[in-house]
Amino acid sequence: MASKGKITKYTGKPAKVLQSEPAIVIEWPRSLAHRHTYGKLSPFFKGLTEGRLLATRCANPECGEHRLWLPPRADCPDCNQPMTWEELPQPVIGTVHTYARVEYAGAGIELTTPYFQVDVELPGVCTIFKGYLQYGTLEIGMKVKACFRTEDPTNTILDIYWIPVVNDADARF
Amino acid sequence: MITLKEGNLRIPRWNRKVFAVAGGLTNYKKFCPEMKLEEQVMVAFRQMLENNDLKLSPVEIKGLVNFLACGEFADHFQDQLLCEAKVTDYLGLDPIYDIGIKTGGATGGSTVLTAAMAVASGYADVALAVGWERMSEVDTRTGNYYIANAACKDFETRLSRIYAAYYAPMAVRFAWAYNLSEETRAKVAVKNHLYAYYSPYSQQPGKYTIQDVLNSPMSTYPLRFLECCAMTDGAACMLLCDEETAYKLTDKPCELFIAGGSHTLRVADRRDMEIPLLPHETADMYKGLRKKEGQRWPGFESFAASRFAAYFAYRMAGITNPLEELDLVELHDAFTISDIQTYGDIGLRPYGQEPDYIESGDAYFDGKCPSNLSGGLIGTMHAVGATGIFQGIECLWQIQGKYDKFHGDPKIWESFGKRKPEDWKSLQVPNAKQALWVSHAGVGSHVTVGILKKAF
Repeated sequence: MASKGKITKYTGKPAKVLQSEPAIVIEWPRSLAHRHTYGKLSPFFKGLTEGRLLATRCANPECGEHRLWLPPRADCPDCNQPMTWEELPQPVIGTVHTYARVEYAGAGIELTTPYFQVDVELPGVCTIFKGYLQYGTLEIGMKVKACFRTEDPTNTILDIYWIPVVNDADARF
Repeated sequence: MITLKEGNLRIPRWNRKVFAVAGGLTNYKKFCPEMKLEEQVMVAFRQMLENNDLKLSPVEIKGLVNFLACGEFADHFQDQLLCEAKVTDYLGLDPIYDIGIKTGGATGGSTVLTAAMAVASGYADVALAVGWERMSEVDTRTGNYYIANAACKDFETRLSRIYAAYYAPMAVRFAWAYNLSEETRAKVAVKNHLYAYYSPYSQQPGKYTIQDVLNSPMSTYPLRFLECCAMTDGAACMLLCDEETAYKLTDKPCELFIAGGSHTLRVADRRDMEIPLLPHETADMYKGLRKKEGQRWPGFESFAASRFAAYFAYRMAGITNPLEELDLVELHDAFTISDIQTYGDIGLRPYGQEPDYIESGDAYFDGKCPSNLSGGLIGTMHAVGATGIFQGIECLWQIQGKYDKFHGDPKIWESFGKRKPEDWKSLQVPNAKQALWVSHAGVGSHVTVGILKKAF
């Protein structure tokens, strides 16, 4: 027989009733932290905090794709062989492939709205790289320059952002 | 470079014919506190069994089912793992095997594909394709964030946390590449909200003008709220059978063909590739397509997954010219732009001329090949796991000549607490024989194209 000292107690917080008609609706709070690895792409994210943009290239001479990948991949999707890292020369200047102006963002957004999201073509890169613009406005075909959040980094993709290149001085490193 | 080889391009083939015979829907709404998930599925299941003029009783039909494909987009929303077990139990179908299907916005289409494969292979004579979503479990902005987990979490999700922001760059690029105006986009929204007005199931019916759409608040430029679907609670189910059972159950079966395609989660990773041609197309048609700098196919303008699915589905169904041979289509208009992009992928227009499908009038009720007479996602629903099933059912009912039965009966409107509009009109396509629907995920990561053919 269980002793009185071992009574099972309720230690939770009663669920808040949000409405009771036409049916009972309760609040069910969730607060979770996932552990997420950057895996073999860790050099890329470390590079951002150091002001460097790292891409990957397939090292297999038999493979048909020898352009750079950005976002990088550790393994080539065409021949499935490991790729090697390569840093893009500074300043990193790209061409606006397309863009959007985010006005209404989802929960947890870490940027002040409205802001421009930008998809950038980079020389020698087979993919198009998505980021955000720190200031200014965009047009397709315009030049933009990569900048890095090396001080107080977020340790996320938000550590790289773009600024418009309107004259030669802007293009300097 | 993606190079497709002979094996990749092998046309899927059923081992025996597959038929759709019945469907059921729910009242689609943003927040449905009066019913739990499985209770909503029961509403759709009952409509499917009881109101589709089937020649056996609901209990007899249940006795024929020996496979379930269950579509659910996100465990995040349901906050309940193994919903499939709860639903199968609740419908009284235990211990029949149910497989959970998950391919984002294309979940409904993939669910029908899975059920069809079960019938085609002989695993089942009668299979149920059932799907649902309860998106009201969280507030809208949290829901937006959940859905944005269907963008790449390392490189994209943090850049907006809302899916409109992954389609908006496509809208900007498409407008630049193929000369699409905001007015044409707005016309898609006006059309689909209007068609939703005639549907008792619809969540966002409305008689809007082009100006209303253009004046509505901006979600992500250039996409406005009236151009976007909303969060939905709801379910849908469709009954599939082999040939013998189909004619035993109904006088109006439709033969089903369905196939899929997939592409990178990130649009950015879509390298230029050769366009797989549809039966009515030639390589010459696309010689000048990439005339502007930086252009690639499918790029930000088109969806290789949709093209690949259509490439297969047309050949499975023997369709050689979609615009001429299809009597109606149901497309995945999660956003006006995704709807328009798809016109090229499925060959309603050649690539680069997509806006003309709307501007010519072909896409309207009295046009050559009307689209989204159901109200689509913008007007009627996007309870994600159910969507691709709902679209297929609307096609089925059109071919069966039952649009009025399922949309015009005042009792259906009343059962949802709605009143049938005085100016309700029938959107029944006269003598519809073939219909197509597109079920689409992500920014084109997964797409199925289904085709139903009149078999009576």
